Amino acid sequence: MRNRTFWLGFFGTLLLVGLGWWAWDRFRPYAFHGTVLQSNEPAPDFTLMSADGPVSLSDFRGKIVLLYFGYTFCPDVCPTTLTELKRAMELLGEDADQVQVIMVSVDPERDTPEKIQEYVEYFWPTFIGVTGTPEQIAEVATQYGIYYEKREVPGATGYLMDHTATVTVIDRDGYVKLIFPFGTPGEDIAADLKYLIEH
Amino acid sequence: MNRAFIWITRGVYTFFGLVFVSVVAFKVFQPVQVLPRIRLGPGYWLLDQDGQRLTNEDMRGKVVLYSFLYTRCPGDCYGIVPLLQKVQVQGPQIMGDIPFAIVTITLDPAHDTPEVLKAYAQQVGAQPGLWYFATHPDPKRLKLIVGAGFGVWYEPQPDGSVRFAPRYVLVDGWGIVRGDYKYETIASTEERILRHLGVLAEEIQNSQGSAKLAYEAAHFFLCYAP
Repeated sequence: MRNRTFWLGFFGTLLLVGLGWWAWDRFRPYAFHGTVLQSNEPAPDFTLMSADGPVSLSDFRGKIVLLYFGYTFCPDVCPTTLTELKRAMELLGEDADQVQVIMVSVDPERDTPEKIQEYVEYFWPTFIGVTGTPEQIAEVATQYGIYYEKREVPGATGYLMDHTATVTVIDRDGYVKLIFPFGTPGEDIAADLKYLIEH
Repeated sequence: MNRAFIWITRGVYTFFGLVFVSVVAFKVFQPVQVLPRIRLGPGYWLLDQDGQRLTNEDMRGKVVLYSFLYTRCPGDCYGIVPLLQKVQVQGPQIMGDIPFAIVTITLDPAHDTPEVLKAYAQQVGAQPGLWYFATHPDPKRLKLIVGAGFGVWYEPQPDGSVRFAPRYVLVDGWGIVRGDYKYETIASTEERILRHLGVLAEEIQNSQGSAKLAYEAAHFFLCYAP
């Protein structure tokens, strides 16, 4: 009798510990690598030009959108970020089709829709590149907290664009959810996206 | 056997009861309070009182209180100047080691040249490196930054004055709007801003390691400071 009570007590305790572990794992707040936003205002919609015609943010409702502002002449920051985004897509595997990367050109004078599309496709085939008039780009960039400005440099390129290098994550319902600073590894981006996909 | 089963069942119910009570207690008593992450602050470049570029990237890593006026605004300009003078003194004390700045964007770029801004900054006692005055030379771009970006309504008048709705916007080091003060509510705007600076400073200082989970839980359960 005493032996049976011991084992029941033992398994009962084990069950409670297991439940505790499960509850902690299930309900603890996930510590995102990116900076979290909990905005109740939808991300500003926009329509810009891609190589296949006009593209709106709202076209991708139901997918997680990663918005990045850069340009094709960008010597270092843009290729680095796009390489990390490519890495994240690789790590996501089959889930990558639930994620859409859109790169908005901050250099509309030089980046045609075809040129920026060719540039982003080099990194990942489903990435989309868009551009627009200087006024359209200014409007979208301002609303997404993106600073950009032309900087004259000597040499053939003529000028570079200084710009904010963050990646903005918009969730399936069209709300800004996360911001990744420049230099966030693809592994961390993939982990956060995986969590968003599963929850 | 039955008795043991009953005790285990009770244990399971108690466990879930405790989890539920803990969650409700956290929400009701709010041991940790935070400021909401309202939206992204706008991207911009402006010209400050020294004629230098001032961008939102320069402000990355700093807590910034944005305000809006024009230098020809009569009197104390809706009380904006005295409020900012107090924040200029108390803000850095509250923030401690956390970088802090005040950026006042003027809504009259044709008149408010860097020279005018510099004279105005000296007149109101703005401390260089802490309280910036700036504007954008292009009125259309200024409208985009201030109107669409910060949500401030303003309209230049034929007599040179500017009609505008006074507003203060608190932005954190990530460029996220954490406070938006449009008008006096139950507490004065000044008192709310200073209190909110304290709440934000506490979050920035403490939300590391396991304490970060408590702050994330406070965001999740909308435990916002009044």
